[in-house]
Amino acid sequence: MKSYSVSEKQWAEILHKALSHYGIFAPVSKESTVDYEEITEKKIDQIFYDSIKPTTPLKAFFFPIKENVVAAKKQTPRLILGVPACDLAAIDLLDKIFLDKDFLDIYYQENRENTIVFGKDCYSFNKSCHCTAYGLNPYPEKNCDVGMSHSDGKFFLTPFSEKGEAFLKEAGIASSAREKLPSNVEAKRQSTTDGLKKQNKDIPDGKATRIGIEKENEELWKKYAAACVSCGACAAICPTCHCFLLIDKKNFEKIKNWDTCQYPAFERVAAGEDPLKKLYNRLKNRYLCKFVHKPDMFGEIACTGCGRCIDACIGKINKNEIIIEACK
Amino acid sequence: MQGKNIYKPLLFKLNKVETESPLIKTFFMTPEIPFDFKTGQFVEVTVDGVGEAPYTPSSSAWVKDKMEITIMKAGYVTQKMHELKGGKVLGIRGPFGRGYPLEKFHGKDVIILGGGVGIAPLRCLLLTMLQEEDKFKKIHICFGAKTPSDFIYKDWFKDLAAHKRVELLRTVDKADGDWKETEGVVTVLLDKLQVDFKEAVAVVCGPPIMMKFGTLRLLELGVQEENVYLSMEKNMSCGLGKCGHCAMGDYFVCKDGPVFTYNEIKNHPNIWM
Repeated sequence: MKSYSVSEKQWAEILHKALSHYGIFAPVSKESTVDYEEITEKKIDQIFYDSIKPTTPLKAFFFPIKENVVAAKKQTPRLILGVPACDLAAIDLLDKIFLDKDFLDIYYQENRENTIVFGKDCYSFNKSCHCTAYGLNPYPEKNCDVGMSHSDGKFFLTPFSEKGEAFLKEAGIASSAREKLPSNVEAKRQSTTDGLKKQNKDIPDGKATRIGIEKENEELWKKYAAACVSCGACAAICPTCHCFLLIDKKNFEKIKNWDTCQYPAFERVAAGEDPLKKLYNRLKNRYLCKFVHKPDMFGEIACTGCGRCIDACIGKINKNEIIIEACK
Repeated sequence: MQGKNIYKPLLFKLNKVETESPLIKTFFMTPEIPFDFKTGQFVEVTVDGVGEAPYTPSSSAWVKDKMEITIMKAGYVTQKMHELKGGKVLGIRGPFGRGYPLEKFHGKDVIILGGGVGIAPLRCLLLTMLQEEDKFKKIHICFGAKTPSDFIYKDWFKDLAAHKRVELLRTVDKADGDWKETEGVVTVLLDKLQVDFKEAVAVVCGPPIMMKFGTLRLLELGVQEENVYLSMEKNMSCGLGKCGHCAMGDYFVCKDGPVFTYNEIKNHPNIWM
């Protein structure tokens, strides 16, 4: 893939100009976390391009925590910078669900179309990162408009879509010649990939995971569920979890609100029956959904190895420990 | 934004509400524009500002300018529904899911097994089938209720029994002095039928326990697994195959169902809950 190169200074100027047309969101570093913030003039210099994954998954921009899906909406076009490959990969599944041609979700569609996504190379990772376990690489390969690499005071911008190319053209970048990514970027990518592979050598792939968790093993789920408090954090920060509840407001308005099978009564019917009444069944359901049912329905697992569920769990339940034990 | 908004309900005027039994009422409605659906499909009914819940219409699928829905008081939304009177406006989204493939029933004995408020969606199926009665060999109706007073549509059964291709059998778990029909669980009615079960199709709708034992008895009698049609009850919330509440293995019941053959779901988790 060939890229356009710009200096950090040039890129900052482009963002200054872009602020008049776009809302800009990018990772900003706090003491112990990195997360997306809305970028103002003053914050352009604070954007943390070499961050690990932001705490919030990309899905929150397209499928917000709460969204009125009956009322009219007006949205400023957005740029989202610093999106890791694990979040980009999740777009495949979200698009299949929300852009399903039988029932197209025009709110999700609008959120997608109004957004220019800048994928980024990961040059560092934390203990929970494991995208390589599922065949992904820690740099943009799909589902973004522009891929961004950063090295030696320069950004290397690779257009992935017409929308991305058009933005770069408008910004005056796309007039220069495209070049191959420099060898130092390739070396940094390789080093991150090698590090992730080494860290995650014991994690079974999607197919092996399926076999492991389909086994009858009630004791395993009970053991791990003992530390679960059904808080739903694992689903909230998951880039692929898509479940929601429609909450009714006056005038037949509806709020599409994140929901999860980890909450009690998620599947309960009016007569009272509830297949997921027991907490350990809810925990198991999360894994069956991701590694058995989603592959059967959509042809892909619903885990991109971002590891946020491991970071977020207040019961310190480690998804990969469960899977490794289930596959023994 | 362009295109149809899948979350926005159509408005239906509620004309009147009739009480069927202490817990069950029928709601008579007129849609703002003609409303087309197939028998077996369901709709999401919104009580403004209160909530939304899934129901299958109980009126004929041939009728587009009116709709009836029969609802049992079971949870929060249904309780609020039961408090409504004629003149109110309800929201309806749908129709959703896959209905009964009636063309596969043509020329065959059709066994219709229903219990409790499960008779409501079967009324829609029967009214729709009876419009073209001669296309079916015979329609064998086996209905059950807890007591005689728990039967809904009391005035309808006479009309139903008068159809030349209809055989109507009813049972109650507990009879009273005036009851002259069968007493016992609904599966006992199946044993009374003179049908070539191997060639018949069967439709089952009712409480989970009735669905389970009704289905198992039909299979024992020789009905083929792919000829047993079950209308599954799950917590259908969006109706669109997105919100996840009605997931059953690799199906979203709202989109892939709610009507399934036994063959399609027999290996799925929690089919009887």
